Amino acid sequence: MNGRFRSFSFVDRITLCSAHRVEGHYTVPVDATRFPASLMAEAVGQLAAWASMSQLDFAIRPVAGLAAEAHYGQVPQPGQRLELQADIERCDAEAVAYRGSATIDGQLAVEIIDCVGPMLPMAQFDDPEAVRADFHTLCGGGVPAGRFGGVPAPLLSQIETTGSERLQALLSVPLAEAAPYFDDHFPRRAVFPGTLLLDALADLAVQLAQRSAPLRDAAALLPSRVTHVKIRSFTEPGAVLQLEVELLDADADRARLKLAARGDGKTVATARVEVVRRSPA
Amino acid sequence: MPEQAITQPEIDAVFPKVAQTIADALGCDLDEVKPKSSLIEDLDAESIDFLDLVFRLEKGFGVKIPRGKIVEDARGPLPESEFESKGVVTEAGLARLRQFLDEVPTERIKTPLKAAEVPRLFTAETFCKVVIRAQRAAA
Repeated sequence: MNGRFRSFSFVDRITLCSAHRVEGHYTVPVDATRFPASLMAEAVGQLAAWASMSQLDFAIRPVAGLAAEAHYGQVPQPGQRLELQADIERCDAEAVAYRGSATIDGQLAVEIIDCVGPMLPMAQFDDPEAVRADFHTLCGGGVPAGRFGGVPAPLLSQIETTGSERLQALLSVPLAEAAPYFDDHFPRRAVFPGTLLLDALADLAVQLAQRSAPLRDAAALLPSRVTHVKIRSFTEPGAVLQLEVELLDADADRARLKLAARGDGKTVATARVEVVRRSPA
Repeated sequence: MPEQAITQPEIDAVFPKVAQTIADALGCDLDEVKPKSSLIEDLDAESIDFLDLVFRLEKGFGVKIPRGKIVEDARGPLPESEFESKGVVTEAGLARLRQFLDEVPTERIKTPLKAAEVPRLFTAETFCKVVIRAQRAAA
């Protein structure tokens, strides 16, 4: 339980929590080594999770499942504060459905649409009473900002192309003792966060897009939209996943790619991503 | 009140959109989705796909499909204790399923059938009927 709020919690305080709406904020630590854009979506998802867990008396909790679309407006910088909000469209024993966004200084940073998190028994993942206490802490004075140290870049190896339109790689998921985020994500069950898996897939997608003829001259590319996200199963620490990205089309400004992660012969996650040229700062 | 029978023209009217929704949810080709296709056995659907599909059908058709409704409807008037015994569907339960899921070839509804495996029977046409019932309920 040492990791609570320390290494994979992206809500500092909840300022409003009603049946259909929840609001809060999170400040990206000034010394965070790496804060990928996917963690903004994680922050909005965690906010919605808090609202749904409180509605269901902390007996069950949502896990990552589906997201029709996430689009990114900007890349968060250390020290910036994300204003978070989520609208709970449906919440019952089977799933929570929601949409939400994060803004920075009034400008959209990420918007996520048509997200569905399947519900599972809370006790499998955490102590329900500890989670209840955490919720009251967040709804009260909140927790101090600056606890998160950042996540390492995904450990990709054996990156191989298949023609010009496919790129494959192996993703080595860290062991639980090597990555503190496991302990904070689900204290009773170490699971590789779905948003970090999407981060790894997006990283590979950017590499493939950068090899495509229309974007070969781009100084930098970044994901602008992630769609059709489906997380099918949990990934354990120490797992090695096969990642594959496929270029669907590309022009001078953007590329669209299909993403998949497989483990033990089964599909773990799928999504699509659009990457664009990074605008000069 | 007994349910008014669902007619073939009603099914034909919703099938194209239901099939497209299934293809989108499962990431398969539209021409793979036939009325009698079992979503699990023929199209490799998993539980997350059913969740995805139901949410897509709700949005696409503007209807509400209550959680657990499909299995509950499949059981019909039978209490759970008569529908299944020790997790296996009883003879009375099988008879009810053959009647309710009349789009499913009867040879697929055979003993022993675990209650948890009832969704393996569901076909694209099953979901057409789910939509039609939801539309009727909303009317």
